[in-house]
Amino acid sequence: MSEPTASPKQAASPGPAASPPDSTRTGPGRVLIAVYALFALSASARAAVQIATKFSHAPVAYLLSALAAVIYILATVTLAVGSPAARRIAVLSCSVELVGVLAVGTWSLADRATFPDATVWSGYGSGYGYVPLVLPVLGLLWLRRWSKRARTQPAIVTPAGDEDEAGEAARSKSVLRAQVSFGRY
Amino acid sequence: MSSVNGVVPTTIIVAGLALAAYALLMTALNRRMDIGLLAALGVLEILLLVLVGLIVAKLAGGGRPASLPTLIGYLIAMPLVPVAAAFWGLLERSRWGSAVVAVAGLVAAVLMVRLHEIWPVIHV
Repeated sequence: MSEPTASPKQAASPGPAASPPDSTRTGPGRVLIAVYALFALSASARAAVQIATKFSHAPVAYLLSALAAVIYILATVTLAVGSPAARRIAVLSCSVELVGVLAVGTWSLADRATFPDATVWSGYGSGYGYVPLVLPVLGLLWLRRWSKRARTQPAIVTPAGDEDEAGEAARSKSVLRAQVSFGRY
Repeated sequence: MSSVNGVVPTTIIVAGLALAAYALLMTALNRRMDIGLLAALGVLEILLLVLVGLIVAKLAGGGRPASLPTLIGYLIAMPLVPVAAAFWGLLERSRWGSAVVAVAGLVAAVLMVRLHEIWPVIHV
């Protein structure tokens, strides 16, 4: 890789030069999306089995499982798309997720009868190593970094081909800046 | 009822955790995903496929878990974990591709514990 590396930290690294982070799906976002996709899959599968086989057993818990599944899918897709509009939806779904895990977590501890079976969010996600509690916080922090960048450096926020009116010149300059900023990771 | 051979799930836990540690080391060293991590994912994939085979043999022998749909879901999803991590990790041209592989290793280990909960004949 013969890309010019602007960051001294990056130049000193033994690994090959990294591509500039051009979207919420690159860099740490890659890991975030992987974990979100995992939860989207497991929450949907769990909700589907619960609703299909024993819905009357605990309807509230199972509907909340389904809601969690929808929110995880929404967050996964919007983080992966990464356009300004998608990021707004991602902020919304991560916020709902955080409120959901706190509310359902408290509710499940206060009213155990409603939750004979665990949901992803029961006990603040204790059945999943509290990852459901940490995940929306990390998601919001990651998204906040991008909205900050959008205010200061509008050109690099959108991947090439997006509907942003930033010109090509600004975009090529932004690649350099993106590489500089990548040193922070 | 006889149990599924515990050697394979135990090996998967050890291999998954070792892979996660190695991948995190690569992340810390700022290395992106390389052929070594890819090969390790391949080994994990083979182990998972062997386990799927063992569990299918157990089902074919007439054994049934409490929730058959859940187990079938795991049998389908389990072998996809290393494959998905390989694709997603290779797309990322930075250290975070290695971090994706670390997640896959941890997930494989956790899945073994879950499998035991779904069907206790699958020993760890």
